[in-house]
Amino acid sequence: MSDPEKTGSKMTLLARNALRVLVVSCLALTALEFVIHRHAYFETEGRPLFFAVYGFAAFLIVVGGGVLLRKLVMRAPDYYDTREDKDA
Amino acid sequence: MPELLLPGLMMILGAALVPVLPHTIRQIWMLVLIAASTYQCWHIDPGVHLTSSVIGFDLILVRAEAITRPFALVFHIAAALNVIYAMHEDSRMTAASGLAYAGAAIAALFAGDFITLFIYWELTAFTSVFLILAGRNPRSFAAAMRYLLTQVTSGVILLAGAVVLVSSGSGIVITSLSAETLGGALVLLAFAIKAAFPFVNGWLQDAYPEASVTGTVILSAFTTKLAIYMLALCFASTHMLIWFGVVMTLFPVFFAVIENDLRRVLAFSLNNQLGFMVVGIGIGTELALNGTVAHAFAHIIYKSLLFMSMGAVLFRTGTAKASELGGLWKRMPLTTIFCIIGAVSISSFPLFSGFVTKSLTIGSAAYEGYFWVWMALIFASAGVLEHSGIKIPYFAFFGHDRGFKVNEAPLNMLIAMGIAAGLCVAIGIAPEMLYALLPYEVTYKVWDAGHVLGELQLLLFAVLAFAFLMVRGLYPPEIDSTVLNTDWLFRKAAPALWRMVANPIMRLWHAGLASTTHQIKVAVDRGTHISRNNYLISGTATIGAAASLFLAIFALLLGLRYMM
Repeated sequence: MSDPEKTGSKMTLLARNALRVLVVSCLALTALEFVIHRHAYFETEGRPLFFAVYGFAAFLIVVGGGVLLRKLVMRAPDYYDTREDKDA
Repeated sequence: MPELLLPGLMMILGAALVPVLPHTIRQIWMLVLIAASTYQCWHIDPGVHLTSSVIGFDLILVRAEAITRPFALVFHIAAALNVIYAMHEDSRMTAASGLAYAGAAIAALFAGDFITLFIYWELTAFTSVFLILAGRNPRSFAAAMRYLLTQVTSGVILLAGAVVLVSSGSGIVITSLSAETLGGALVLLAFAIKAAFPFVNGWLQDAYPEASVTGTVILSAFTTKLAIYMLALCFASTHMLIWFGVVMTLFPVFFAVIENDLRRVLAFSLNNQLGFMVVGIGIGTELALNGTVAHAFAHIIYKSLLFMSMGAVLFRTGTAKASELGGLWKRMPLTTIFCIIGAVSISSFPLFSGFVTKSLTIGSAAYEGYFWVWMALIFASAGVLEHSGIKIPYFAFFGHDRGFKVNEAPLNMLIAMGIAAGLCVAIGIAPEMLYALLPYEVTYKVWDAGHVLGELQLLLFAVLAFAFLMVRGLYPPEIDSTVLNTDWLFRKAAPALWRMVANPIMRLWHAGLASTTHQIKVAVDRGTHISRNNYLISGTATIGAAASLFLAIFALLLGLRYMM
């Protein structure tokens, strides 16, 4: 039987370390932007940190859009179940 | 002369023996058949190899195109992985139908005319429906019936398209078609249904997650990719497909955010990946078509891997719902690693298969100057990361520990997942092996430092956005729910519309019937009353005969009234 508190603290530590690695990686990628030349097909693409900003924003838009969509299309788990299914 | 035996046929016919073989021999038998079929198909060069004349039609039973070999190879790989993955279970129905289904899909790849294609097209439907029925509950039965109806409808439309093509003098040979002709439009519609285009996509998210643990894995490989293959053969450079594809890449990512069933999340993800392939077909350049074929190849493997990992979770815990899962990484460490490999592959992280394949399609959009298409594909890539790259592994294996006391997945499942994961890495590290199979030479520089940097920035900053939302507590919680999809149209809207139209008519009918019954009763009562008082009939006939007589008179009067 796993101890929830112990597991929780381990996961928190894991998450904290993962977050540190992520932040350092993002900083490194930001620095590399000014070292490595990116060949751009479009003017927008050539702007500094375009992919970083677009990736961050796109993720927020996807999640935000999902939250709005939930209001429109979310129903009860048994929404499609027939009366016979529910009885069963 | 391997082409003299119809490709896929040995798997279809061999499936007939599967139900009667003992467990171990059955597994060996299926793997031997797949190996023999792989050998056969690998040695079929592009060109027409076998024709036959049937009731006036010149059928092309075996024909290979430049893109046939990579599709045939990956179909065989998927079939073999499925057999290994399902070795622990003793379902003869799943084994037989899975093998026949794979065989039918492989046979369809080599069809050179629409009549032959129609036969295999429907055979894939009828063989695969058993995989959904293997879910063995009322929901899966209903989903299987809806699935079958959709797939058969697609086949009927394909046949109608073929008939129109023949009557218009275009013939039945599978070749480049125009979507602006009736025949071409019907064929495109048939392909669109199987490729889960927008508004006809509901069957995919409805049926696949209702199949058995192994059934969903098998289903994920063949039907939709067969449709992609046919679209590439018939509708390359059809401009409108670019925009259909763009919509396909975008809308599923929003649905996947709020879907709770992780196998259904993967079904939305599958839809999104098909969108990339459809965009490539619509652009139609050599780079774009290479991208479509390469992406289909890699996609079949990493999508199978993701479905396998979620299948293993379902098999061990009894649920695939994000709201009920979490913390499995300690109990199922190998499954966790394989799932993460699938997740980073589909998310296009460098050194994994998705990066070296999807880049070709996105690059082709940039080459051709499709700015908004390119923007949409980049956006969709961040969306893929959200649902398949983060949501699937995070909510199943990390997140809140639910305290499941389960074992690691069975050995055969681990072997299948390990092979698939190895292929994802191998293709990612050495894409030249895959590029050599593509129809055109690959000149795109996928390892350009700027390109790798841009991809890493896109993905890691998207992950940073996820971390930001989690730390702030803004990431939406997983809620056990039903997410409405386009299947709502025929599961709820169409019956409601039917009731709306039919109810007034039925009320009118019932009112008329009641009125008529009443009038007949009155007439019979009156007749009975007269006969009793005046001794007109009762002395010579029974009450029943009297009623019949009055009924006949009444009917006559009604008829006369109607005619007047």
